[in-house]
Amino acid sequence: MSSYAEVRPQQRTPFARYRHSLWLLTRRDLRVRYSTSLLGYFWSILDPLVMAGIYWFVFTQVFQRTVGAEPYIVFLLSALLPWMWFNGATSDATRAFLKETKLIRSTRIPRTIWVNRLVLSKGIEFIASLPVLALFAIVYGAEVHADVVFFPLAIILQAALTTGVGLMVAPLVVFFRDLERAVKLVLRILFYASPIIYGTTDLPDGLEFWAAFNPLSGIFSLYRAAFFPGQLDWFVIGVGAAISIAFLVLGILVFNRTERAVLKEI
Amino acid sequence: MAAPVITLTDVGIRFRRNRRGRRTFKDLFASSNRRSKPGEFWALRNVSFSVQRGESIGVVGRNGQGKSTLLKLVTGVVLSDEGTVHVTEGVAPLIEITGGFVDDLSVRDNVFLTAGLHGMTRKQVESRFDDIIDFAEIADFIDTPYKHLSSGMKVRIAFAVISRLEEPIILVDEVLAVGDKAFREKCYRRIEELLAGGRTLFFVSHNERDLRRFCTRGLYLDKGALVLDGPIGTVLDRYNADYGVKPA
Repeated sequence: MSSYAEVRPQQRTPFARYRHSLWLLTRRDLRVRYSTSLLGYFWSILDPLVMAGIYWFVFTQVFQRTVGAEPYIVFLLSALLPWMWFNGATSDATRAFLKETKLIRSTRIPRTIWVNRLVLSKGIEFIASLPVLALFAIVYGAEVHADVVFFPLAIILQAALTTGVGLMVAPLVVFFRDLERAVKLVLRILFYASPIIYGTTDLPDGLEFWAAFNPLSGIFSLYRAAFFPGQLDWFVIGVGAAISIAFLVLGILVFNRTERAVLKEI
Repeated sequence: MAAPVITLTDVGIRFRRNRRGRRTFKDLFASSNRRSKPGEFWALRNVSFSVQRGESIGVVGRNGQGKSTLLKLVTGVVLSDEGTVHVTEGVAPLIEITGGFVDDLSVRDNVFLTAGLHGMTRKQVESRFDDIIDFAEIADFIDTPYKHLSSGMKVRIAFAVISRLEEPIILVDEVLAVGDKAFREKCYRRIEELLAGGRTLFFVSHNERDLRRFCTRGLYLDKGALVLDGPIGTVLDRYNADYGVKPA
């Protein structure tokens, strides 16, 4: 039998424990996803590839495309891949608590981890899918512009926005189950309302101003600037950044206010 | 006297009576109000006590009188609506112990995951891994997906992991009702070992013999209030006088 001094688990700072738990759960997510499927990693890129293929076919082969930029497949993918991150994390966030009720009832880790791990694991899948974008850029001869330095900024802003939305959606779904379906619907609308198959510059003059208030517009234009510097619009990015931060703050507030009730409910 | 490891001061928590009751955004955010709203009841109220290191406490009460809620408050998996819960040391909760296990992962991965979530580093788990597997007696199934284990094995491996957490406070909530007799006896011996090693124990059970075996102090909960806090014998006598079956 070990003596009392030995039985204390290694003392660590709360921050280190938070990171440790977050990383464990993220790894678990990725491992579960990849250990149960044969194609593993390819599934996470197959989805955006098929979608990109469809839009490429419709807009370059069927219709004469008037939006976006050349090469269109690179233009599509540079927003579609980050969209998959946002879409995946947000729709998973609707089940963040419901799917893990037993685990949440038995462990005392900070509750924000249940949302943040989704943002992180989908973010890792996004990063892992970037070589596909690079491959298409090389094959279609898209030139990398100096604005590629904004890529990390875009990732930070998107992480903030996605976390904020997740922190809001996850607890509210526990009380209003309808929200789960509502979120799916909103995401579908948002796909077309965001500059993915088109760019903000393609919008009619009146609409371009309002598109700035969709924070994804600014974020996607930062990603796109890596290949299409013409997509960079600092007004859109500024508004998008402010809204992303606002979502994060609001998400933290909502989460803190509802945490107590969520724990009782699940 | 040393500072207590667990201190509860005027703790109260309320739940909704009907889970599917109507809820609005307004009452979700208006949580500061201390009055009990219609359709809500206090599962626990005005509960205050403190626990010294090394004490072993049995919680007694009829079903639905707040025993499990009390353990959850101490674990920190639910939060009190009023009062404060102060726990200064780590807690190994034997509550819903199989909850952290993932069906699709192997037993090995699950052990690392669950122990990790309770704060153990990879190295610490590695050094105890063989102990854990030995205790659960499932050496042949280390690489089997968790979902293929029998329900008895699931509980065995879960108990083995949580009881190896080496946290100074252990909470046990009637989990030991499952499992065969031999394994239950093994679990009991493990708990006694832990007690001998200076752990603090919180034990919820309806089994009087177990309570007398492990506990020195008793807490008697009735109708959401702490009715009696004293030596386990006194507490059990009072409980039996109130609710026990009278000898014919």
